[in-house]
Amino acid sequence: MSGASGVLSLLLPAAPALPCLLALLCVAPKVRRWAPAMMALAPVPALLAALLVPQGISPLSAPAPLRITLTLDAPGALLLGTSAVLWMAAGAYAAVYLRDDPARPRFAIWWLLTMGGSFGVFIVADLSSFYLAFALASLSAYGLVAHDDTPEARRAGALYLGLTLFGEALLIAGFVMLAAGSPDGNPLIADAVAGLAVSPWRDAIVALLVAGFGLKMGFVPLHVWMPIAHGVAPVPGSAVLSGIVVKAGVIGLIRFLPMDGMLSAWGAAITTMGIVTAYYGIAIGLTQSHPKRVLAYSTVSQMGVVGAVIGAGLWSGDAAAPVIAAFYAANHILLKGAMFLAVGIAAASGARCLWLVLAVSAVLGLSLAGLPLTGGALAKIAIKGPLGEGMAGSLLALSAAGTTMLMARFVIRLQASADGSSHRFPPLALGAPWLALCGGALVVPFVLFQPVTGASLASAFSAGSLWKGLWPVALGLVATTALAWRGPRLREIPAGDVLLLAERLAPAVSALSEGVGRLDEGLRRWPVAGLLVLALIVAFATALEATR
Amino acid sequence: MTPAASLSSASSAFGALLVLAVIVPLCGLVPMLLCAPRRVEQVALLLLGLGGLIVGAIAVRVAATGAALDDVIGGWAPPLGMALRADGLSVVMLVMTAVVVVATGLFARTDRAAPTSAMPPAFWMLLMGLWSALNLVFVAQDLFSLYVALELLTFAAVPLVCLDGSRKTLDAALRYLLFALFGSVLYLLATALLYGAYGTLDLPQLAQHVRASGTPEPALVLALALMSVGMAAKAALFPLHLWLPPAHAGAPAAASALLSALVIKAPIYLLVRIWCDLAGPPLAAAGAPLLAIMGAGAVWLCGVMALRQGRLKLLIAYSTAAQIGYLFLMFPLAGIAGAAPWETIAWTGGALQLVSHAFSKAAMFMAAGLIAEALGHDRIADFGGLGRILPVSVFAFGLGGLSLMGLPPSGGFVAKVMLLTAAVQQERWWIAGVILAGGLLAGGYVLRVVVPALFRTGGAVAVAQVSPRRQGVALGLALVAVVLGFVPLQPIGFLAIGRAALIGSAP
Repeated sequence: MSGASGVLSLLLPAAPALPCLLALLCVAPKVRRWAPAMMALAPVPALLAALLVPQGISPLSAPAPLRITLTLDAPGALLLGTSAVLWMAAGAYAAVYLRDDPARPRFAIWWLLTMGGSFGVFIVADLSSFYLAFALASLSAYGLVAHDDTPEARRAGALYLGLTLFGEALLIAGFVMLAAGSPDGNPLIADAVAGLAVSPWRDAIVALLVAGFGLKMGFVPLHVWMPIAHGVAPVPGSAVLSGIVVKAGVIGLIRFLPMDGMLSAWGAAITTMGIVTAYYGIAIGLTQSHPKRVLAYSTVSQMGVVGAVIGAGLWSGDAAAPVIAAFYAANHILLKGAMFLAVGIAAASGARCLWLVLAVSAVLGLSLAGLPLTGGALAKIAIKGPLGEGMAGSLLALSAAGTTMLMARFVIRLQASADGSSHRFPPLALGAPWLALCGGALVVPFVLFQPVTGASLASAFSAGSLWKGLWPVALGLVATTALAWRGPRLREIPAGDVLLLAERLAPAVSALSEGVGRLDEGLRRWPVAGLLVLALIVAFATALEATR
Repeated sequence: MTPAASLSSASSAFGALLVLAVIVPLCGLVPMLLCAPRRVEQVALLLLGLGGLIVGAIAVRVAATGAALDDVIGGWAPPLGMALRADGLSVVMLVMTAVVVVATGLFARTDRAAPTSAMPPAFWMLLMGLWSALNLVFVAQDLFSLYVALELLTFAAVPLVCLDGSRKTLDAALRYLLFALFGSVLYLLATALLYGAYGTLDLPQLAQHVRASGTPEPALVLALALMSVGMAAKAALFPLHLWLPPAHAGAPAAASALLSALVIKAPIYLLVRIWCDLAGPPLAAAGAPLLAIMGAGAVWLCGVMALRQGRLKLLIAYSTAAQIGYLFLMFPLAGIAGAAPWETIAWTGGALQLVSHAFSKAAMFMAAGLIAEALGHDRIADFGGLGRILPVSVFAFGLGGLSLMGLPPSGGFVAKVMLLTAAVQQERWWIAGVILAGGLLAGGYVLRVVVPALFRTGGAVAVAQVSPRRQGVALGLALVAVVLGFVPLQPIGFLAIGRAALIGSAP
């Protein structure tokens, strides 16, 4: 290994390690004061690693007791690089946004830990490190969700934690079953997945993994936490939660599902689930009044699209599906991050500059919907590959019309949420990272398109491609106009929708807990305990007697 | 060659270390009784250092030779004399005990600036008695010595519960004493039955007799039943956990740490010896499901009870009752046909769970004690803002909780993965379900404490200062539990040292 590549390969471990290390150093009060400044700088090694470290080299293993193995492949690099950009922009933004918050250092620490975990999931290659990074990102993100100590945030936080722990339990069960057949206690993910086809518990493993990762991505009906959690977090927190943390589920599906056509039935199921989620997110999102919740439902919908792409790859055994799904997800990271940050910018803008904020947000929204000549259009063209021109492809193309409507809804609600009376301008330190991110979100897909798809950019500008991108957006705009002009007033569906049904179970749960309390009370009485001792002796003797 | 002969020939100068590990803490009681109360603590600390060195030497010797360390006291071979033996598992227990006992000593030490002693002289004497008893449990080879060790352990542990002499703790201590004696009586009855049937109390010789006779004797069956229930009562295994919550929650923090981390592990260790070494595979396979069912009940019901508690120390106490349930899930998993139990991943997982629970639980009880001292109460509902007052203690509690929840990096995570792997490989899905659900419950009760402490504002007001040294001890123990997460995910060879020789010569 030459000297230069040695230094480069150090960048890879530095990407997750630096944020975690900085967070640990913040235990010292003197360092803690600088925590907000670290938020924007900690992602630098991750960005450099995504750009400079050669992809596909042999995995990098840490010395013995650490059992961490890192590797960088194309999907990982795409997600690592774009998420680093969002972490930097949102970090600079957060340092200003939370200027007057006394709990700002605490926010910064959880921010750094979430960052370390999210970088980790994109580059780890072995099973137990993946679990570690996934758990770190998921659990630390609680600190972002529940930062504001309001009753609403407490409820959202409790829900988030509960479902996160549940998801971790599903995943560890799946991981253990996946590794149970391998001689090594902690196999590389690729090796473990290679044995999936012959595993006696193949379908159970896939079900556990899809449920665990689907919970993170917000597959219906596991999406309930997303609009609630993303709605209550401070604006930069929502941006990284919706932009990056959900991508831990995407990389999970990419890494753990073998795209070799062996699981085509599962592919069909995941594609269906993705399409249902894509439409469901749009439908409920259209009724939302808060711009952040509109965006959160849009994330649900977009992750449905990513799920459908991965499912299609699984269905047809398309080895290119992972990198294309990652490309689509990377585009979503930047756009969704920029749109969430716009919510804070709009709130700080007076009437004079609000139009500019709205215009930029509209462009971002149209890019997400895939308007031709935007970066988002390239992402939509790319996913045509795995999805094909069949029913799944057509349904997802049509969903872009829904996305257009949802984005129009977002811009309208953004205007309503702004303080239009004053003539304030947002502070430059808040506006600059946002504008930089917006620029990145619109440009980056153009840079990545050719390396990812192998098709030339010119093909994306052919008349056929332009028309395929244009009609859904035009349809969406017409529908929005019609809806605003003559449409029924939509009644807002409370965030979390189906969760309200689940809350009906609360009395049963508390009755169960009461029952356990009474049982314990009973067991602690002496006569009961004495009888139990006798009963247990008899039970043991009987069980053993049977062997004689 | 009989095992007795092989034992005495294996006895070496290093074997005397085993005697010293038991005797040194006991001998310390004499100067402690004679010297001035203020000096007791210094003597105790000196002995803690000495005892730690002895255990360290035993561990180094066993690790270096890769064989168990034997000693036959006075050269009299069993059944006439008394044999001591430290195999791989014993050494792990001895080291775990030494680390927790020494850490507790450092935690309980009086500050230099303090005008009065932090702990009464009785605490230090009981600590020494407790340590001697635990060491004896881990190295004794015959049922009578084990009985003596268990009794000494009970009599050292019970007064620790009621050191403050309040009405409530006396009640709890009495309850504990009665139940522990109940367990001892059952154990003694079983010992008598075995002696009557086989004419020896030496465990290796008993194991040989048991394996030599084809169908098990009725006395053996009854003895195993009595011992299992007796030890379950002493270990507070569900549904016999009635004494544990008030006793462990009422004791001073240093004492709670010892009780929860170590004392209940002694009967569990004994159960492992009885089922794995004495009973033999067919009987062990018949008894294991019952033990596992009791364990599952502990994980679930005591887990829910921990979630329901309003006071921190009660929460931790119920969590102890829940966590030991995992150890009993090991019995059916380790007893797979065709493999020696100590070579299975379940055996390693169970041992690791036992050890990492000891470290994390000791850390959590110490942290809880410091929190109660600083706030003047331990009501979880009023913990808002605690993270700012006692960051190190909350951190230590959280790290300990990480291990209980089975999240990486921690010993609890590795243990959980190993037990789960064993359950999956043997397709015992209900055990896998118990482990996973237990992890969720643990997550619930740990986060119920950590989340308000870190994220709620207001509420907590400090009424007393807490020394950084004591917080450091709690944090150190929690870090040990985290470091245990770096052991490889495979059966550990060290745990099998000397075990095959114990019963391997049987026909």
